[in-house]
Amino acid sequence: MNEKNNISRRRFIFGSALTFAGIVSGFTSSDKALAELIITGDGDNKIMSFAPSVWVEITKDNQVIITIARSELGQGVRTSFSMIVAEELDADWDLVRVRNAEGDSKYGNQSTGGSTSIRTFWQPLRIAGAQAKKMLISAASLIWGIPESNCYSEKSFVYEKNGNRKLSYGELVDKALTLPVPPANSITLKKFTEFKILGKTKWNYDEPDIVQGKAKYGSDFRIEGIKYAVILRCPYISGSLQSFDDKDALKVKGVLGVYQLSEGIAVVAENSFAALEGRNALKVTWKKNSDFSSEDIRKEWIDRIGTLPNLPANTSKFIEGIYEVPFLAHTTMEPMSAFAKFSDGKCEIWAGTQNPQTARTGVANALGISNANVRVNVMLSGGGFGRRHDNDYIIMAAKISKASGYPVLFFYTKEDDIKNDDYRPASIHVVKAGITIDGKPSGWIQKVISQGDVSPNNPIYDIPNITNQTASRSFGIRTGPWRSVDYTQNIFVNESLMDELAHLAGKDPYLFRFELTKDTRLKNVLKLVAEKSNWGSNLPKGWGRGIAAFVGYGAYIAHVVEVSVSEEGKLKIQKAYAVVDPGFAINPGNVKNQIMGAAIDAFSTALNTEITIKNGEIQQSGFNNFRWLTMEDVPDFDIDIINTSETPSGMGEVGFPSVTPALCNAIFNATGIRIRKLPIAYTSLISNVEKKTSIDNNVEFEAIPIPFESSFKLFIKLKRWNQSKLSITIIDLLGKKILETAIELSGSRYYGEFNLPSVASGTYYVLFSDGIDSYSYPIMKK
Amino acid sequence: MILNINNQDYDINVDPDMPLLWVLRDILGLTGTKYGCGIGFCKSCTVLIDGNAEQSCLIPVRFIGTKKITTIEGLSDDGSHPLQKAWVEIGVSQCGYCQPGQIMTAAALLKKKPKPTIEDINSEMSDNICRCGTYNKIRDAIILASKE
Repeated sequence: MNEKNNISRRRFIFGSALTFAGIVSGFTSSDKALAELIITGDGDNKIMSFAPSVWVEITKDNQVIITIARSELGQGVRTSFSMIVAEELDADWDLVRVRNAEGDSKYGNQSTGGSTSIRTFWQPLRIAGAQAKKMLISAASLIWGIPESNCYSEKSFVYEKNGNRKLSYGELVDKALTLPVPPANSITLKKFTEFKILGKTKWNYDEPDIVQGKAKYGSDFRIEGIKYAVILRCPYISGSLQSFDDKDALKVKGVLGVYQLSEGIAVVAENSFAALEGRNALKVTWKKNSDFSSEDIRKEWIDRIGTLPNLPANTSKFIEGIYEVPFLAHTTMEPMSAFAKFSDGKCEIWAGTQNPQTARTGVANALGISNANVRVNVMLSGGGFGRRHDNDYIIMAAKISKASGYPVLFFYTKEDDIKNDDYRPASIHVVKAGITIDGKPSGWIQKVISQGDVSPNNPIYDIPNITNQTASRSFGIRTGPWRSVDYTQNIFVNESLMDELAHLAGKDPYLFRFELTKDTRLKNVLKLVAEKSNWGSNLPKGWGRGIAAFVGYGAYIAHVVEVSVSEEGKLKIQKAYAVVDPGFAINPGNVKNQIMGAAIDAFSTALNTEITIKNGEIQQSGFNNFRWLTMEDVPDFDIDIINTSETPSGMGEVGFPSVTPALCNAIFNATGIRIRKLPIAYTSLISNVEKKTSIDNNVEFEAIPIPFESSFKLFIKLKRWNQSKLSITIIDLLGKKILETAIELSGSRYYGEFNLPSVASGTYYVLFSDGIDSYSYPIMKK
Repeated sequence: MILNINNQDYDINVDPDMPLLWVLRDILGLTGTKYGCGIGFCKSCTVLIDGNAEQSCLIPVRFIGTKKITTIEGLSDDGSHPLQKAWVEIGVSQCGYCQPGQIMTAAALLKKKPKPTIEDINSEMSDNICRCGTYNKIRDAIILASKE
């Protein structure tokens, strides 16, 4: 494995970053008469290769180099694309090398989004592999003077049938270069039963590099003379710069210059630390142009609900409700970063991006140069989730390089990243849905109010009389694609509402869904997930089970989630079941990784995360107040794949949408509490304890104010107690301790003040115990 | 000042307040140690200092003294550390960005407790954030490595 990676690095990684392979006969395309001859400098050696298309090269030293024109974000595209080409080429997997395509229209659409990569490139990449194989077989048959039908290919060699001659693909390069590229319509692709690579798990191609710290992400780009740059941006939404003073910043050791851009004030320095210190020393006055807060957005949206239409006359019972979902940041592990070198009217970029083509155009426009003078090289992304469709960070890097004259690595801090994101849109969904006298849906009305960036999806079941409406009021908050996009909100609403309807009809939520569809693929994922999860079997006390399904990105998926809610209100996600029908699973192990990762993403956002605005400013600043689940919080998974066709689908996003409603439906099953507002942290899950203590009537408990801003006063009075020492613990909804203290009761009473300025908004529980009896009360932080 | 990193001495001349993270990444080009949040909330920047897992983003370089630093690049010469092999064998990584920090945290755990229980692993690893959600696989890989 190490040798393999050394070779690939020698040729492609940025040791030779700014000097590229020379392509002798111009750019390639699959319908050209002859394949390309590519000469790559490799120290004293020259490696020559033949490239029948832009997707695959075969070198004289018998490597297969596959060009990936979609960006690796962790979804596994470098591995799966390579598998597709290697399969049809009959390549030896150990000889496969992978390179990323630079942003160029010759590769077709390079936008990595909408889970489209596999669906778009499945056929073209198979054809590219098969074309190359056909030429190599032709070359061998000509060399040996035997018909092609007497030759066959296996693991990067062509063999003579019933003979003992063989030639490696590398040895066939010279001859293959003289042959015409066969047209795509003359190519015969393999039958699925002939697959040797596809359909069997290959782990992440980059894993050996990742575990040795050798994998290179955008922020890892280094070159002789590189400088580092950060930017100070206006903290206010729609705000602007009034004035700034950079005297102190320029005095910071290592700071090379301060530059005003339309985006903010950039500091360039010898290293990242100096750049950050320089930025801290800037004195800037910003102009606030708006002063709204999250509550203002909510109020204006609620004002736009109006009156929903009536349900049909055959409605016997109905539900009306308001579902709410917040803005979300992407918070990739790797904050946005890009290298730019502007010199002699040309700009070279090295960055992780979800669209190198729009990055190229964006840089060209920003610098006033032509596309031809911009090269965008794609590196690994430390997560994407939609954020890297916006190339703002690449454009800023290019502008800073031009303004300063230095080759710069520009980066956002985590706080910059959270505060300057294109957020997953917030939305309010007003719903009204009914059932007939015989428990069948009678109608379904949904009105979505947002900044104008969310519209409803129809339910995936046979439901009559659907009405969808939208209304909007924008506040100038930047929004953009976020893993699974609108489905993140809509499927939470639709599948929760399905659960509400099932209960209204007195029906089992699984059977209710199953009976309301004729789509066999949907029926099959629902049926199998119910079987796997022992749907209908008894659960321990305090546990609940929820189901939900989703159809999209060419695939079908159903989830069952099991939770437990303790008497103190502590939620634990116990187990998650998923059954996915991807059509055909190219790389089953990676499909399961994606389904698991998307579920954890969905659990995190459902429970804890939101972006809020106060007086025109984004309030969240880091992983401390925009919280992701960690290892101890995640459930065990049981994931099954059903292969149903010969067409694969996109797996990066399909695993998210139905997880949130399955979780909320499980909480309802456990507690009777219906979650209509995300994050769940807004809802107290205490049901039993409050009842118990009020019956017991032993405790007076008051926290003021609730919801509290940063501190609250606590008053506890016990009519009887076992010890005068009380232990007080404040936990979050997953039971994590936020604060722990012990106090003395003064008589039967306790007064105290608690300061929790840096914890995220949501529900917390005050647990107190005199050593024998214990009590739990919810408190809410604004 | 002299820093001992991966059993090699480096003579560096930097602002003594510079966090170790930036010394590694910008001054020495050891980019395997990742910048995730810069304030100690994600552990992407974890390195070993005298065998203990520490967050390099929080430690000014002047505090290091003669302590020995191990980064992901120095965990093994060739990817042969049991954790690295386990990661490759069961395919842990998605984007991979947090994984050097995960592996270094796990390396410190295995040094202290060669046969950790699931509870040990959960408790030791639960400050490391993985945005791709690979936690279950990380735990499986640590268990696999601990069997070697």
